[in-house]
Amino acid sequence: MNDDPTHRLYLDALEEALAETAAGDAPPQAPLRPLTLTAARARRRPAASVSGWTAPFAGRIAAMDALLGEAGEDDWGRETVEGWTLQELLAHLAAKDGLVALSAGAPVLGPPVIADEALARTAELQEYERRRVPEQTRRDWRAQADALCRHLAPLPPETPMTVSGFTMPVADHLLARMLETWIHTADAAGAAGVRLPDPVPGHIEPTADLCVRLMPLTMLMRGHAVAEGRAVRLVLTGHGGGSWHVPLHPGGRAVREGGPAGAAATGRDTRGGGPADATVTCDVIEFCFLVGGRGEPARFAAGVEGDAGLARDLLHAAPALSGP
Amino acid sequence: MEAPVTDDRLLHQRIAGGEEAALGELYDRFAPLVFGLSARITRDRSAAEDITQEVFISFWERPLAFDPGRGTLRAWLATIAHRRAVDHVRAQERRKASVLGPRLVEPEPERLEDAVLSRQEADGVRLAVGKLPDDLREVIELAYYRGRTYRQVAEELGLPEGTAKSRIRTGLRRLADALTEEGA
Repeated sequence: MNDDPTHRLYLDALEEALAETAAGDAPPQAPLRPLTLTAARARRRPAASVSGWTAPFAGRIAAMDALLGEAGEDDWGRETVEGWTLQELLAHLAAKDGLVALSAGAPVLGPPVIADEALARTAELQEYERRRVPEQTRRDWRAQADALCRHLAPLPPETPMTVSGFTMPVADHLLARMLETWIHTADAAGAAGVRLPDPVPGHIEPTADLCVRLMPLTMLMRGHAVAEGRAVRLVLTGHGGGSWHVPLHPGGRAVREGGPAGAAATGRDTRGGGPADATVTCDVIEFCFLVGGRGEPARFAAGVEGDAGLARDLLHAAPALSGP
Repeated sequence: MEAPVTDDRLLHQRIAGGEEAALGELYDRFAPLVFGLSARITRDRSAAEDITQEVFISFWERPLAFDPGRGTLRAWLATIAHRRAVDHVRAQERRKASVLGPRLVEPEPERLEDAVLSRQEADGVRLAVGKLPDDLREVIELAYYRGRTYRQVAEELGLPEGTAKSRIRTGLRRLADALTEEGA
């Protein structure tokens, strides 16, 4: 809008009006602030948490809900991804949040869970939601996510949890839910032609960290028998990024380097585990989305130094855990 | 190293992510702007307070209507506040008119909360420029529609730089009067 001369002129004239009035006018009455915040909360529910390890997930739920607030009748019926309408996509997210809730002993909304498996539960919930109006689907999806957040928040983040046969710390399960909610919100925003703001850097960082730590597993899943001692250095650029030393043998534990992204210059890791065979540098959000199954590994924009074959295997294997 | 996340962008990200404290910060930064503009246009403190509330509530409720790639928060909020205040003045005028006789102006359909100027708003600005005295219109047109710096404006018109600068400001002030006092 700043490219339009008429609008620029209009804004400059408004600034001029303000410069003239600011001195003479008393500010708005103090009680207006709390009144405004209270009324705002009633119109759009705030995130279920804004601090602690559940906050990145809660933030993505709130952002998706804001996008849903923009949706008109056309949008609900429009195909988003996987051949699903927005309502079906939301049922899919609710289904997977529900399976985490099931494992955690939190309330599970919707019909009783018959199959503790993502796609089967998705089909169950989509069938159920198709008979309801989109607003009901939206309300239950949000209630499920918020209930899950409230239930999990008091737990230590490293508490092991098994969801659909997959065991990780509970915080990692919720970060995986964050990533999926983020990616599907981007899918829906793209279908509606809306620009989605990025999560705050503090929410991107732990999500990227999870994605990096999954690399030894994705390599294994794609059949790469990596010998102990082989490692890459992953440099994720942009807000919420950083650098990691990633041993790629089965069970290898990625270590985040101290300092901000790009601080250390070489492939030699500073804290844990010797030299790296390759350094892969790419955008942190693009990397998260690659792990989440968005983007073509063959065309992925990454700077590679060192063992190009190993770097290629890493990028091609990265989406191995992504499902619909 | 990447550029820092700008204040606007980060505040917008936090509000989109449902962080209520960020709305409080937005209010603290921009409530004087929004209220000052609304009060000037409506000449009614209580109406200006209602408008101020509505502007911030609607930003919270519909954060994706704002796109930081297309303008600043300040510009967005000023545009929405101006629009709502003008709507308020028009509604008041209609109410007065309907007491006196048949309605002459049809109420307008509700607008999208969009910071792009409507055609009607843009026409209002251009009309106000057209009504400026020749010497002021000339400098505004050179500066805004021909992309001249005030130095170039001065050169082209054979004026001292200080005179060119003050004419542009006087022109803007006249436009401000037109935009805020005639209900645009």
